[in-house]
Amino acid sequence: MRYYLRRAAFYAITVWAAISLNFLIPRLMPGDPADIMLAKMARSGEVAPGVERTIRLLLGSDTNQTPWEQYVAYWGSLLRGDLGVSVTKFPTPVTELISAALPWSIGLLGLATVISFVLGIAAGAWIGWRRGTWVDHIIPGSTLLQSLPYFWVALLLVYGFAVVNPWFPRIGGYDVFTFDGPEATAEFVGSVIYHGVLPALTVVLSSFGGWLLGMRNMMVSTLSEDYITTAEAKGLRRSRILIGYAVRNAALPSIAGFGISLAFVVTGAIVMEQVFTYPGLGKLMITAVQGNDFALMQGLFLVITLTVLAATFLMDIVYGFVDPRTRLNG
Amino acid sequence: MTRPRARRGMLLAAALTTVTLLAAGCSGPAESDEGPVDTTLNVWAGSQTPITANFNPYAPTVLHGALGPVYETLFFYNKAGGGDPVPMLGESFAWNEDGTVLTITIREGVQWSDGEDFTVDDVIYSLTNEVGRSANLVSAEASDDTTVVVTYDSPQFTNEAAILGGAWMLPEHVWAEKSVEEATTWANEAPVGTGPYTVDTVSEASYTLVANENYWQEGKPAVAKVRYLGIDANASAEDLLKSGDLDWTGMFVPDPEGVAAAGGPTGYVNTPQDPTVLYTCANADLGCKGPQTDVAVRQAINIAIDRGTINDKAFVGLAAPISPTYALLGRDDQWIAPDVEKESPQSGDPEAAAAILEEAGYTLGADGVYEKDGVKVELTLTSVEGWTDYNDAAKLIAEQVAAAGIKVTASTATWQEFSDSRQSGNFQLIMGGIIGTAVADPFQIYRDWFSGEYTQPVDTQLEAGEWNFTRYSNPVVDAAVAQAAAASDEQTKMDAYAEIQHEITRDLPYIPLVINATQTFYNDTEFTGWPTDEDLYAFPPSWGSVSAGFILANLEPVE
Repeated sequence: MRYYLRRAAFYAITVWAAISLNFLIPRLMPGDPADIMLAKMARSGEVAPGVERTIRLLLGSDTNQTPWEQYVAYWGSLLRGDLGVSVTKFPTPVTELISAALPWSIGLLGLATVISFVLGIAAGAWIGWRRGTWVDHIIPGSTLLQSLPYFWVALLLVYGFAVVNPWFPRIGGYDVFTFDGPEATAEFVGSVIYHGVLPALTVVLSSFGGWLLGMRNMMVSTLSEDYITTAEAKGLRRSRILIGYAVRNAALPSIAGFGISLAFVVTGAIVMEQVFTYPGLGKLMITAVQGNDFALMQGLFLVITLTVLAATFLMDIVYGFVDPRTRLNG
Repeated sequence: MTRPRARRGMLLAAALTTVTLLAAGCSGPAESDEGPVDTTLNVWAGSQTPITANFNPYAPTVLHGALGPVYETLFFYNKAGGGDPVPMLGESFAWNEDGTVLTITIREGVQWSDGEDFTVDDVIYSLTNEVGRSANLVSAEASDDTTVVVTYDSPQFTNEAAILGGAWMLPEHVWAEKSVEEATTWANEAPVGTGPYTVDTVSEASYTLVANENYWQEGKPAVAKVRYLGIDANASAEDLLKSGDLDWTGMFVPDPEGVAAAGGPTGYVNTPQDPTVLYTCANADLGCKGPQTDVAVRQAINIAIDRGTINDKAFVGLAAPISPTYALLGRDDQWIAPDVEKESPQSGDPEAAAAILEEAGYTLGADGVYEKDGVKVELTLTSVEGWTDYNDAAKLIAEQVAAAGIKVTASTATWQEFSDSRQSGNFQLIMGGIIGTAVADPFQIYRDWFSGEYTQPVDTQLEAGEWNFTRYSNPVVDAAVAQAAAASDEQTKMDAYAEIQHEITRDLPYIPLVINATQTFYNDTEFTGWPTDEDLYAFPPSWGSVSAGFILANLEPVE
């Protein structure tokens, strides 16, 4: 029990530190958001006098609070679930923007991560099992794919399958030329799946190589363990040795890694979403950073930090069950 | 910070490569749906996802659809071609002798989209409400049911276009109850306007406008539905344009011919509007430091630059020649004094530049760089990272002026650094833009960008509305600007402009480079009525405020 209490206390402190950093970092950044906004608007034409005044009202006032007062107010609004109002998408509340983008990121990236994991583990197990044969040549291929940057894979896919051969749509989470907004129809769901193919393929292609390599190496070392030799000597079926003895043990480290990578799903795939104009969190992040939109940035970091912390906490707990040794030294 | 930036740079490079590949290859148009002709006009006006509903014209994040298609102004001023103002919600207007009283007659029989009548009260509200009112406004009163008399505390001739062609007419019965705070922060999701369109739906990826059936212009608009899309990357927008998915957009495409060749819309017009210049921190009295505070150095740079090469190499030949008077060539020719240089030279003359420096007492050092009193003519030219056309132009300038014994180091900065340095005056040379005027008259540039009242000492931030980044301050220019502002006849104004032009073409606080291209692509096979090179009745790009609504009302689908 003490183990769990210690872990809980540790995470509570981490959460506090993360949230406080989240408050601090945007305030250390240089520049006045109001000026940036005005200058940006001026690039695309005249700025009406009314607009100018609006921006000053919004961003220029209320700076005579002390940092401590701001910090307290920040915690207060945080506990009320109020993350403030976005500046770049004024006057939409940050929570609204995030909750609109979250399902897209989780749906697409969650699914793609699961596919990539299953694919990588299965292929890794198979290649490890058949080590020393021609299948080993798949490994360099898959690691090469992984070393390609996301956006490059995305651009290649777009070029090959959306522009030269217009089999797949170029942008969006659904067909924006047909639907005026999300709706609960079968056509819409179909459209969402159709539009998710290329983005998901991007993620899968550029990430399954890592799983594959890790799994294959674990397989190779597991297969040289004594209990495998014993199993073989007992005359067990090959498939039983593969699934029940080798894979089961070899997959353990990968499963731990999988928990973490699922947590990172909420960060979105920033560049991939930009290339496909996909309405996820990564896209929001770019918007926030480019527009010096502190409220939105803070909101996003908060969601990301908390999710990652929650996932690692969960993994810690699970590990405590799975492996009693961690409980003693943790 | 470094890592994401580098990645973005790479993304850009990758995007560019793709674009080049695209230009080389050829993609067929996307298959069209079998079925009745779809009269939806698909527009990209630069919006990025996620789109959030905001149709409040006073809000900084207002969507393009509000500005013109939904809300209208009293008159329409053609930024692209000049000409007389076109009556919209106003029928006629007149100034008093000294430009302080404006009498406006409004159009009768116009209805708001909620069925209420458009009245003088709406005009008065729109001109006098706390958010939108001009700082010089004294009063606005109705003298009868169709006439509004607006009084100002100073001559406003030069603000005519801003007042009549820029002030949005808002329904008083909806807006009057809003406090200042509300009027600025309110998202106005279901706007009540007089324009040709009303808002139908808004989602994070797009928003749609539908024709206003009670529009005051009989028979307009003919296009039933307009869809504005949110697209994040320029490369994506270009792909969609080339595949024929977009019907109207204003965006930069390096090879405009390639758009139609790839199956995109065949309509194309380029209307260069906004000057690209070198800002120089010119005024040592206000704290500027560096060789560029010497007018001889600025003059030498000005004639050492080879503008033709810069346009060809950095702006793919799409930019237009610039006038050192900052009157837009072709549109504002009448305002260029006969005895000043009309157009900046297109080719560089390094010998003449060197001669200017020698005459000013500079001597050529052993390293090929001029110096005076032990100070070398070495300058840093900053441009915003990622604005590749500007970055390339800066490098070309550095090479070109080197031949005249001037050492310019081209460096890049983030937008933030760029903005900070021009706001505070801590720079030597910056590659930047000047905002072109909305009417055929360079006055606004002279006042906002050149006059001493629109600047601040170095290390003091410019205030909102002040654009004189160079810290240039010249009493002759200031007096002439004041004279032009109060001028009721063209000759007085012209005299004042001539004076300004003599001063600024000699002092060159901004060194003119080119007029930036403004490209517009439109689908003229399915829709007619677009502004063209022959009939430039409105500023063509889809993001043009006021003009976009004017154009939409004029479009007709081809049967």
